[in-house]
Amino acid sequence: MTRTSITRGSLAFIASLLALVTPLAAQGPQRGAAPPGNRPAPTSPVTGNAASGKALYYSYSCHACHGYGGETGRAFVGNWSRNLESEESFLRFLRARANLAPVQPSTSMPSFAESTMSDTRAKDIYAYIRTFKSHAPELKDIPTLNQIITAASRPYTP
Amino acid sequence: MAKSSKNSVNRRGFLKGAAASAAAGAAALVTSVESAEAQRGGAAAGQSGGAVAPGAPAPSAAQVERDAGNVRPPASVRAVRRPGSDLQTQVLRDLGIEYVAANPGSSFEGLQESIINYSDSPNKRPEFITALHEESAVTMAHGYGKAEGKPMVALLHATIGIQHAAMSIYQAYHDRAPVVILVGRDEGFIAAHSAHDMAGMVRSFTKWDAQPKTLEDSLTAIQRAYAEAITPPTGPTLVVLDIEHQKEEAGTMAVPAYRPPQIAGADAARTREIAKGLVDAQNPRIAVGRLRTPRGVKLAVELAELVGASTSTTATNGPMSFPQRHPLCGPGANTTYDYTLGLEAGGAQASITGPDLATLLSRDTTNIGFGGIVPAAGGRGRGRGAATALAVQADAEASLPGLIEEVRRQLTAGQRRVILERAAKHAEANQRARIEAATDAVQGARGGWNASPISTARIYSELWPLIMNEDWCLSSPSGFSGGHHAQLWDHNKPYSYLGSQGAAGMGYGAPASVGAALAAKSRGRMVINVQCDGDLNYAPGVLWTAVHHQLPMLTVMHNNRAWHQEFMFVEYMCGVRGRGTDRGHIGTTLRDPFIDYTKMAACYGMAAEGPISDPAKLSAALKRGVDSVKQGRPYLIDVITQPR
Repeated sequence: MTRTSITRGSLAFIASLLALVTPLAAQGPQRGAAPPGNRPAPTSPVTGNAASGKALYYSYSCHACHGYGGETGRAFVGNWSRNLESEESFLRFLRARANLAPVQPSTSMPSFAESTMSDTRAKDIYAYIRTFKSHAPELKDIPTLNQIITAASRPYTP
Repeated sequence: MAKSSKNSVNRRGFLKGAAASAAAGAAALVTSVESAEAQRGGAAAGQSGGAVAPGAPAPSAAQVERDAGNVRPPASVRAVRRPGSDLQTQVLRDLGIEYVAANPGSSFEGLQESIINYSDSPNKRPEFITALHEESAVTMAHGYGKAEGKPMVALLHATIGIQHAAMSIYQAYHDRAPVVILVGRDEGFIAAHSAHDMAGMVRSFTKWDAQPKTLEDSLTAIQRAYAEAITPPTGPTLVVLDIEHQKEEAGTMAVPAYRPPQIAGADAARTREIAKGLVDAQNPRIAVGRLRTPRGVKLAVELAELVGASTSTTATNGPMSFPQRHPLCGPGANTTYDYTLGLEAGGAQASITGPDLATLLSRDTTNIGFGGIVPAAGGRGRGRGAATALAVQADAEASLPGLIEEVRRQLTAGQRRVILERAAKHAEANQRARIEAATDAVQGARGGWNASPISTARIYSELWPLIMNEDWCLSSPSGFSGGHHAQLWDHNKPYSYLGSQGAAGMGYGAPASVGAALAAKSRGRMVINVQCDGDLNYAPGVLWTAVHHQLPMLTVMHNNRAWHQEFMFVEYMCGVRGRGTDRGHIGTTLRDPFIDYTKMAACYGMAAEGPISDPAKLSAALKRGVDSVKQGRPYLIDVITQPR
């Protein structure tokens, strides 16, 4: 069976397409856009003690999934869930899950009955979570990430 | 416990002993037949003379002495000019085997000697790679097989070597990795190391095995093992090589010629039908899954370009798929596709999918190696996504040359012009989609950018500018470290990302990376291993192998000081049972003390630095690592990370 040179064919093909797409690449990315899925931080009242909540956040291993500062993993910052809109919604989320135990395996968040996390402790943790904010620099101030966007505009080379 | 003075050897004593051994070398070569026979007979006598549990003979005193190194194995008294293992080595050379990985074992001493001494170019193609654990040897071959789409060899020592390697063989099987495993067998030395059917221990998860009865048969068996390993469904195969065949005089025996397997593609009628579908379509789509070899990837590119089809890829999930940044890769200008072809991908209007390995549940062990591999019902991927109108059970890669030829035959000049215009529109749309995806990805990576411990997204982000102009391979699974490379990096080579473990077994990342680095070394490529800490602790001696063989491998520790996935599972269970999560760390974390990976690397001779928890120091450290690897010196950076 005969077959033409793949390499030569590919290069010619790509060269013909690049002539058309280079102007687009030269436009560069839209920078400084908000992170995807950004939900604003809640503003409801907080009654718990954030200082004690900080210790509880780690002793209950919340950081294991939500990061040490709520910015990584299943992050809070930039992705505030409706369950975090208020103390009440947070408590309702924890307790409802406990009452459903064993919860469905598809939900990996541990449940917390009042016997293992009192309302007071839960409110303290909530208060600490509410202190989380983005420490991320603006995109324009992170050269590495701008370099990545620029690289995405590079012509493809086999 | 005080050391025995008999076994305690200082340097002076060692050198003195070595000199004495050299002087006695000639004498050792002419060890009498009686002596050799006595050693063999002694073993047998020992078995029958002691108190032995039925079915589980205890080692004899003579065997224990041999195991302790106080007695040499039975010596060959024949002046062998052309040992059988030279022919076995020539077979490996003819097959293009680059490496044989093993930790030493007396059951393959003949083959080992041939690999390192045979011919005018000893220890080259194949080169003997020193492993420190059989599991590492097989996983090296696993990583190499995924990177290159062809096997290297793992050499195992008898019953004990197979059992050490069992998990890694199991994992390679699940990953459909082409791996050839050779196992030494010596019935006359240590009885516990031999068995009538050693391959039986792993038969449920090897594709094919053999225990040849003659030297001549061993040569064809190795060739068939190679052919079976690369024939879809690809997978690990195993041949038991008797020590007597390795040592016997081959005389004038010829090395048989190797005949590559003829891998069937789609038949002519199906090929014409699919070609017509692609040519007649106004907006064809090709979904590309995991092909077998780099050649398959090139052919998929050729077909897509020929018909101007937009394509999807699995290159961010594993090896051997369509180049992620090819102008045709992406959603295309129009996402209403009127004809879709799946290449090792289901859910298309026409899907060409090769056979899958039999599941462990369905395997009929009595048939293994004798036609027992049966494709899973419907073939891989069938039934997922949209209904498949035409399901072709054939290897996609083998189908492509005929399909390309048929498309060329059917295309008219007018259609070719339309195709080029369509492809240009796709290229423009895909370019826009790429930039949007990259922008979204860097926005995500901003989260926790300055966090300490360091975010996993920052590790991948800082790595990319350092390697984007290099030829690289991400060899470690990224599922536990966020998979951030998927949109931050460009996956344009068949080996850009080697994907997951295969069976989600731990102890995979480092040895698979060493295997990938073996492939990379002679090809001017570097290997990136983002290494989970829990995973490294299974068999870390593989770091020494990387140093010893000067492999281009950068290891960046994703050190969250836990088997973090299990940590979360146990936390979840604690919560479900309402007993609190405060002890969820027991048995799931690596604390008290923390493990110092720079010292671990240093003890194996690997350059290393860390632990680094300040993100501002990460980029410079990574640059030092990349620079070291480019000079052929593997490097490890211990990074203290966020959990995920």
